[in-house]
Amino acid sequence: MIRAPLVKALGALGSPTHQIASRAVRTSAVVAQTPAKAPEKIEVFVDDIPVKVLPGTTVLQAAAEIGVEIPRFCYHERLAVAGNCRMCLVEVEKSPKPVAACAMPVMKGWRIKTNSDLTRKAREGVMEFLLMNHPLDCPICDQGGECDLQDQAMAFGSDRSRFTDINYTGKRAVEDKDIGPLVKTVMTRCIHCTRCVRFASEIAGVDDLGTTGRGNDMQIGTYVEKLFLTELSGNVIDLCPVGALTNKPYSFVARPWEIRKVSSIDVLDAVGSNIVVSTRTNEVLRILPRENEDVNEEWLADKSRFACDGLKRQRLIAPMVRMPNGELQSVEWEGALIAVAKAVRNANGQVAGVAGQLADVEAMVALKDLVNRLGGENLVTEQDFIKGSGIDVRSSYLLNSTIAGLETADAVLLVGTNPRYEAPLINTRLRKAYVHNELQIASIGPNIDLSYQHENLGADASLIKDVCSGSHAFSKVLEGAKKPAIIIGADLLARPDGAAIHATISEYCQKLKKPDWNAFNVLHNSASQVGAFDVGYQPGLQRALQGQPKVLFLLNADSGKLTRDQLPKDCFVVYIGSHGDNGASIADAVLPGAAYTEKQAIYVNTEGRAQQTLPGVSPPGMAREDWKILRALSEIVGKPLAYDTLDELRSRLDDIAPHLTRLGELVPASNSDASAQTTPNKSISGGAIDVKLKELRDYFMTDAISRASPTMAKCISAVNKQQRQNEEAKQSAAI
Amino acid sequence: MSLIRQVLCRATPTMQFTARWASSQDIAPIDLDKALARPEDVEQRNKLSGKITVPVAVNLSPISGVPEEHVKERRVRIHIPPKNAMQSGTDNINTWQIDFDNRERWENPLMGWASTGDPLSNMNVQFGSKEEAITYCERNGWRYYVDGELKEKKERVKNYGVNFAWNKRTRVSTK
Repeated sequence: MIRAPLVKALGALGSPTHQIASRAVRTSAVVAQTPAKAPEKIEVFVDDIPVKVLPGTTVLQAAAEIGVEIPRFCYHERLAVAGNCRMCLVEVEKSPKPVAACAMPVMKGWRIKTNSDLTRKAREGVMEFLLMNHPLDCPICDQGGECDLQDQAMAFGSDRSRFTDINYTGKRAVEDKDIGPLVKTVMTRCIHCTRCVRFASEIAGVDDLGTTGRGNDMQIGTYVEKLFLTELSGNVIDLCPVGALTNKPYSFVARPWEIRKVSSIDVLDAVGSNIVVSTRTNEVLRILPRENEDVNEEWLADKSRFACDGLKRQRLIAPMVRMPNGELQSVEWEGALIAVAKAVRNANGQVAGVAGQLADVEAMVALKDLVNRLGGENLVTEQDFIKGSGIDVRSSYLLNSTIAGLETADAVLLVGTNPRYEAPLINTRLRKAYVHNELQIASIGPNIDLSYQHENLGADASLIKDVCSGSHAFSKVLEGAKKPAIIIGADLLARPDGAAIHATISEYCQKLKKPDWNAFNVLHNSASQVGAFDVGYQPGLQRALQGQPKVLFLLNADSGKLTRDQLPKDCFVVYIGSHGDNGASIADAVLPGAAYTEKQAIYVNTEGRAQQTLPGVSPPGMAREDWKILRALSEIVGKPLAYDTLDELRSRLDDIAPHLTRLGELVPASNSDASAQTTPNKSISGGAIDVKLKELRDYFMTDAISRASPTMAKCISAVNKQQRQNEEAKQSAAI
Repeated sequence: MSLIRQVLCRATPTMQFTARWASSQDIAPIDLDKALARPEDVEQRNKLSGKITVPVAVNLSPISGVPEEHVKERRVRIHIPPKNAMQSGTDNINTWQIDFDNRERWENPLMGWASTGDPLSNMNVQFGSKEEAITYCERNGWRYYVDGELKEKKERVKNYGVNFAWNKRTRVSTK
């Protein structure tokens, strides 16, 4: 069918529109200078179904628009097009050869046949070649049951084999690589899709993986023997369409049809990545990412993915009370709760609460209600933040540009933060903007490897004043940008002059503000922090200690910042949490709580998005959900809390802050005038800015769960080993 | 997009049926029963034909045989199943599904299989739309909540050429 452009057709008729059309052609040079109009959509036919797509859309994407899925191995939505597996070959009418759907842009009026004889023959041929060099070890392969090659061989492969090894030479075999404690390799199974190579270089920003050799001798690997060490290495397991890269801690543990999948939320950093918890027989076996375009796309950081074996170790399984001889003794719930209730009654309102890194919103609200009913006022978070009235306005402690929004930013200043290890999936967004959006990044703080090029302005705190007064060279970049963003690390604001830093930057961000864009961002590193501020907790342990509490509740407070020496001698410390870590060791009574995979609980991520975890397994032993423990305790103390079920508690949350129960939604902070508050002291004292997590080895253990995880311990020793080897190599080179 | 297609496919059989029914109406032969019926018979027949509309919400739970404990205590999550991160296929995720709150499972000491005391844990019902699932839960008397929404897929421009761009950061160094 010939499709003449409408303008031409109308011109031939001599209609009045002809003049307009010709004028449009003449003025096209002027039009090019004005903002580009959305290009006109073109029509193609996929299996005779018409579909309109933007020019430049690939055949594969056009087919996906109407729900026709073309088989593929190398193509991945979030990676660059490679076009090397040839599985996506389809027939296009009037084209002499089948075309690779993943790389070929559609042309107007194309008729694509995704299920014709030619297409099926092409797929069958490709599949035959792939299987000729692929071992028949599905029964012992960890990918079995969730393998793209297996599925596509069933759907598109031939029903018989022509592979006859007449010389008994065996199939092609490749030596396995040791690329670290997280990813197991069986390189004979590799089909050279290069998804892992592209992920490493594009998303993770670590050009460690690559291909060597060609044809039958092609191999994927690191070339020299080294470990593939990044904070995102686990994602290559998901990307691998065959069983070449598999999960090492999970190897030979379970088959995909045996496990139950529970959609949940990760709490080991403040990103709130969406995850799927795979369980069997009351045991968490592995954690996979769940797609959420607004939060984690479809990636997951290594700590979130592999620290799940920490959920089985160091667990508190029975309530404990400290005996006069100083030892913690397991007791029944009744005894423990009565012991705590006694201490609480004797405290006469001198009660305080500390919420730690993994505390959920429900438990924090229950604790706050209980402490308030007992007459206590001091409820604080373990993680320090600015002093004073800084957190009265919600936008002053959120990542206001939003995680997905950072992808569109074009100038970013990082102040006292290392997003690569504090929030790896926010760092991937920054890297994405760096690669695709020409983002310009600068940092104030120690010079660290962020996986992309950035300008380190220096480590001195006075630089903040320079930038914010507009005298620094980078101020020009920020002011000239369409979507500038300044990201402040939460640890930086814990400094004595944190309030001044906060005020200076938020004032400057008022100047940078655009409609629908707030440049002020705080990057938290604990999952509970934003939720705690939302329900009225105050930052900093000192405030809790100032009141000389007689009873101190530690809700998952495990960072080790609090020691017995800081507390009054007669203070009775109650620890509620899941792991026997720093918090439990200083406690007089330990009440075992549930970990994030064992409860339905709300967490608010650093951009202010409330999301809930769902229970995959039940808490071990006598452990119970944290808010239920506090509810039971309130009954024994004689000040019962006004909610008996989760629904009632959620409606209480709704009363406190309605956005907490609008799960999954991002409720923008109502008042973005963060600088409206007055700050008493606006002088930033100088001194070097430091970040806690500088190297990969610092990343792996940051909370009670990851500290209990043997896999994380293996990661740290692998990083240390790699570094030793590098140093030895350097020394021998010097000799 | 394919969800809409599925719904359409599901809807087609009924549409065809109506069409056939309508065409047979056009050439309806004289029905002897109808022609010879007494007026009160006609009236009775009219009463019986057509749909019966029950004005109040239906609650099937008293007669469904589901133990009361599993009606009142359970909470149903209505959601779209997530894509398996390990695979690229998307055929099974264009549907709404109900899940009950997860209860304890344990390893059976005899065979090592997973055991549960929860009769509803394996009930996996799929629906074409969120509303159908909600109606189903309401009729069965379960408390429910809807988790997640159908999100528009983001349009991405995929271009093989950017791998070789000379002035962009998308240029690929590692092959």
